[in-house]
Amino acid sequence: MTTVKEDRLYAKTHEWVEVEGNVAAIGITDFAQDQLGDLVYAEAEPVDIDVEIDDLVGSVESVKMASDLYSPVAGKIIESNESIEDAPEQINEDAFGTWFVKIEMSDPSQLDGLMDAEAYKKFCEEESA
Amino acid sequence: MKKTPLNQRHLALNARMVDYAGWDMPVQYKGITEEVMAVREKVGMFDVSHMGEVLVCGGGSGEFLNWLLSRDVTGKQKDQITYAILCYENGGTVDDLLVYEMDEDCYMLVVNAANKDKDVLHINDSLITYREKFSDRQEDIKIVDDSANYGQIAVQGPDSLKVMLDLAEKLGLNAEQKEQLQGLKRYRQIQVDKDGFERKMIISRTGYTGENGYEIYLPAELTGEVWDLLYDYGVDPAGLGARDALRLEAGMPLYGHEMAEDITPLEGDMGFFIDFSREFQGGEKMKARSTRKKIALVSEGRAIPRDGYSVYLNDEEVGVISSGSFSPTLGKGIAFALVNLDFPDDADIVEVKVRKKMEPFKHVVAPFVKK
Repeated sequence: MTTVKEDRLYAKTHEWVEVEGNVAAIGITDFAQDQLGDLVYAEAEPVDIDVEIDDLVGSVESVKMASDLYSPVAGKIIESNESIEDAPEQINEDAFGTWFVKIEMSDPSQLDGLMDAEAYKKFCEEESA
Repeated sequence: MKKTPLNQRHLALNARMVDYAGWDMPVQYKGITEEVMAVREKVGMFDVSHMGEVLVCGGGSGEFLNWLLSRDVTGKQKDQITYAILCYENGGTVDDLLVYEMDEDCYMLVVNAANKDKDVLHINDSLITYREKFSDRQEDIKIVDDSANYGQIAVQGPDSLKVMLDLAEKLGLNAEQKEQLQGLKRYRQIQVDKDGFERKMIISRTGYTGENGYEIYLPAELTGEVWDLLYDYGVDPAGLGARDALRLEAGMPLYGHEMAEDITPLEGDMGFFIDFSREFQGGEKMKARSTRKKIALVSEGRAIPRDGYSVYLNDEEVGVISSGSFSPTLGKGIAFALVNLDFPDDADIVEVKVRKKMEPFKHVVAPFVKK
């Protein structure tokens, strides 16, 4: 079984969001890394890029699958985690501890459109059924 | 969804299951990378019971198959297996298959699961054409889809002979059969009668991984027992994900990618398996219909090529990736691409559009992983 963390918000495309003040850290969930399998490629979009909701902020690939990360909020990328390029396996090992980008949000009210841990847990159960 | 005789075993092993051509199949057990490395370094086993077995039997069946397929099935030793292409009259590809001689005037065609029903229809239609075309030929051909009565397990990897000899002992093969197995050459088969089963067990030295290996065709009811014997001996199961990565690393084509209704066998670089010196269905129109060729590419950086990505040479789009994957053995992206016929053979570096970026790839000669 995969885990879900209570201190995050979740998007339907399996990104987690950890909010600290006006900044949202974004990564992929434990469920997503488990579905993809052993990751062999990971990349985060660079800093200083302005993003809208659903813009590309990162990519992950396993042997047979490729998947993109979409921004659940609008804003500017202020930090980009380059360490995932050299060691994508850290995402398999600790999906909730590995953020891809940190975004300075232009409209934090957009977070209201995301799921809490309870809702995301149910969402994953439905997807697996 | 259709289930192989091993379905419960896959579920018990917590395999990740997918719908593959209407079959509930394991895509991976512990992980694709681990399963690929087990096959490259030791041995692994695959449930390939979804493959189709179609019998073409009766007087004149060999002659019919010679006309139906890209190369002759007759004039060989009885235990020799023929890999051939089944073509449309227009030169497109229906399927690729293995032909096993079962008896005099009786052949078993082993076909892709996704194509089986289409193949049976095509072979039946072709028999009508054949009868009109060669009305002077005596024949009594019958086509039977025997797929439901067979299970199939592939044992692949450098340790596969050791595993097979142990299995032969446990299954009670006699001294002569064990000796045959020990000396079995590539693309040869042994048929073994099993008490209480109508269908024979067939062991062939064939596979889809580039490693030494064997494929075991079993009466469906015997498949689980053989799987358990192999598992208890310590052979790790590998799923369809590893199977696809292994076949691409080994430079082997896959139907729907390097072969298809709209891809001729020549475009898929299958010329070695086509004998144009005799008449066969599709042979006449194939060359004129072939406007592309298959090339092999290895990533120069970290980019992983995927099916459908565009390939560029000197900023000009020249083709498209037909099979792309990360190679667990090489640790790099590898791909086949179908490109225009005028693509220069000495081209060294091409570019592949991966998401928004143009990424460099080296033009190489397959196989990617050489043995």
